[in-house]
Amino acid sequence: MAIETDILIVGAGPAGLATAIALRRQATGRKPTVVVLDKGRSAGSHVLSGAIVDPSGFKDLLTDAEIEKMPCEAKVVKESFRCNFFAGFSLKIPWVPPMMSSMGFPVVSLTKVTQYLADIARREGAEVYTGYAVTSLIEEGGVVVGAKTGEKGLDKDGRKKGNYLPGEEIRAKVVVLAEGGSGILTEKLIADRKLQGERPQTYALGIKELIEVPAGTQTAGEVMHTFGWPADFSTYGGGFVYHISETQVMVGYAYALDYTRAEIDPFQLFRQFKTAACVASHIKAGKTVAYGAKVIPEGGFYSVPKLSTPGCLIVGDGAGLLDSLRIKGVHIALQSAVAAAKAILADGGALGARAKSGAIGEAYEKLVKETPGWREMARVRNVRAAFSYGLPWGVAAGGLAWLTRGAFPNFRIPGCEEGDAKALQPLDRADLARVQARAVASSPVQPDRLTDVFMSGVIHEEDQPCHLRIRNPALCAACEEKFGSPCTRFCPAEVYRREDGKLQVDFSNCLHCKTCRIKCPMENVDWTFPQGGDGPRYTRM
Amino acid sequence: MHVIVCIKQVPDTTNVRINPKTNTLMREGVESIINPFDEYALEEGLRLKDMTGAKVSVVTMGPPQAAVVLREAMARGADDAYLVSSRAFGGADTLATSYTLSMAIRKICGGRTPDLVLFGKQAIDGDTAQVGPGVSEFLDVPLVTYVKSLKADKSSYQVTSVMDDGEHVVTGSFPCVMTVLKEATTPRFAPLAGWRKAAKAEIAAFDEKALAADPIRIGLTGSPTKVVTIFPPPTKGGGEKVDARTDAAAGAQAIADFLQKKGLVKA
Repeated sequence: MAIETDILIVGAGPAGLATAIALRRQATGRKPTVVVLDKGRSAGSHVLSGAIVDPSGFKDLLTDAEIEKMPCEAKVVKESFRCNFFAGFSLKIPWVPPMMSSMGFPVVSLTKVTQYLADIARREGAEVYTGYAVTSLIEEGGVVVGAKTGEKGLDKDGRKKGNYLPGEEIRAKVVVLAEGGSGILTEKLIADRKLQGERPQTYALGIKELIEVPAGTQTAGEVMHTFGWPADFSTYGGGFVYHISETQVMVGYAYALDYTRAEIDPFQLFRQFKTAACVASHIKAGKTVAYGAKVIPEGGFYSVPKLSTPGCLIVGDGAGLLDSLRIKGVHIALQSAVAAAKAILADGGALGARAKSGAIGEAYEKLVKETPGWREMARVRNVRAAFSYGLPWGVAAGGLAWLTRGAFPNFRIPGCEEGDAKALQPLDRADLARVQARAVASSPVQPDRLTDVFMSGVIHEEDQPCHLRIRNPALCAACEEKFGSPCTRFCPAEVYRREDGKLQVDFSNCLHCKTCRIKCPMENVDWTFPQGGDGPRYTRM
Repeated sequence: MHVIVCIKQVPDTTNVRINPKTNTLMREGVESIINPFDEYALEEGLRLKDMTGAKVSVVTMGPPQAAVVLREAMARGADDAYLVSSRAFGGADTLATSYTLSMAIRKICGGRTPDLVLFGKQAIDGDTAQVGPGVSEFLDVPLVTYVKSLKADKSSYQVTSVMDDGEHVVTGSFPCVMTVLKEATTPRFAPLAGWRKAAKAEIAAFDEKALAADPIRIGLTGSPTKVVTIFPPPTKGGGEKVDARTDAAAGAQAIADFLQKKGLVKA
């Protein structure tokens, strides 16, 4: 028997939970029933971000007292931007560009903020259930009318085990997709219904560690952003160092997945980044204690799909709602959530009928376009494409967009047109050997990849079907020939390795970052859902 | 038939670290879960429900937030749930806990003896394995520990219990208290529909007054065990390695010398 609800929200990240809170709080008459589902073991366990949050997003959602009580690690008291030229040399940008400044903003663990939002959502009467992957949408006559959860208790050959649990159907008048970046259902819906914007989405892979350092050496609230080395000046990449307490530092590195050189290994770039003089001084005598990775949809304005289809709305990162200059999306995700709730709660007829006719979708899209976040995205709409021509052009476009408040350039700069998978060039084995010779030595602050994976807390039931399905194994052989199996390098969790001339997929390491389905040059990875509740268990990311 | 399953909310110790300076548990970022061994006990209870139509009640003692594990048990199929919670119970050792739980079980059963009380073999935080046996004493009901398999009908049971000297096959008729091993079963998953039902269910809460508990036998007062200090076990250094890949005889000699030096073998 199907479970019935007014609203089904897929994904208990900030966008999904904010939608739930706004729906329950802002309803004037009967409060709609709201079910929120997430594949992570608990709310926040698959959520990872920098994160210096632009607090503006919380204002329409939470009370002042709630914002005050939100888990916040530190407030930014000192910030700097540096351009790294090589490992030992960087220049401090003498003045922080005002549009980039985050003085006074909270530095948070988005995992913890998500737990906090989940508590509020539950208190408001939303039903938040975690450990359930939503694996397909139910569509009837072109209208999304619900979704189905994944089965549990299948063995590695797909046979039912003693504790087999069948998938369950949830019927809803409105389905809100809040899956985050590279959402599986979202992307399928976008492809099936041709909802993509002018450009395909383009991503960066973000890798992050929490590092403990001895007391008395660092100041809480000091933050630094860098660009340049170890990325070459033709690829969009940058790092951050956030001191969240006297003894804890968040260190992260994001690298654009439209990179062309097949020998690139983002995890090694992250390690090199930590050796840069201006970074190393912040993590001296440190020890890595937590790790995670996730893709960031950074295509911006032109990569945003149509945000609705009958019966269904898309919110947050899953819709690519992110400022691609500041690489900030949480506040826009929250604004889109509030807009979705407002559109759903508007007067003008029965909920189901308005959803079916597309009236809610239209209202939602209109409301999103009135948010400050959307205006911000429009202002920097050309920045990401300009960066694809190299760092100087990107910086110039960012500056111009700021100075002219987005008026110039007033046309769409071409760039990033093909999607990330197509960008890769054939591998030069000599380049690969050179890169591998430069590998950074391991230490407590430079764990190797598998040690880091352990610190993500990732757990998958081993006896279940592999959720990373290779569509055509023959293509892997061709890829090895041409690209040298780049999956063995771009995966931040060492899921893919070559053994006995074949590709081995250790799915239980998977951090659900989705890089493989984005960057595999053969588009040969079918990312399906593992058993609900499996995956990373972030607690402080 | 009435089965009572006692469960405990514990920190997920896979994530627990100890602050080296204060020797206290660092709880930051540590989730609370159902004690994993209690999941096997619960599953055995639910299996009896499936087979015999038994009623399954779950009970936990802990702070108000421990209600979460009761709801999870109900989502899997338990019929009702009881939270034993009060400041007065705080700081209880295994003796005071056993007393308090036995009073709660009496209350749940309206003074009658339950047919079967199930526990996990031990909790992963305290590792004492004493509360199950303690409750059996207070209830004056037979006890079988370390149950590896359980077959039962409405009135009698046959279990295999794993002891130091081998496996004991025990038969008997209810009532009985049992502590259950991991080998017994695989816990089921809660269906969403079960969560939905559990979310709306009433959970009865008992404090010391409701249980008419003897104030000197509960909480810190009722606990003869005192925690003097907490410390992490010393980290073991790496062992000595003998590389015998090139010269097996020399390797064997090195190992023989080592054993002699320790006085473990004679020359």
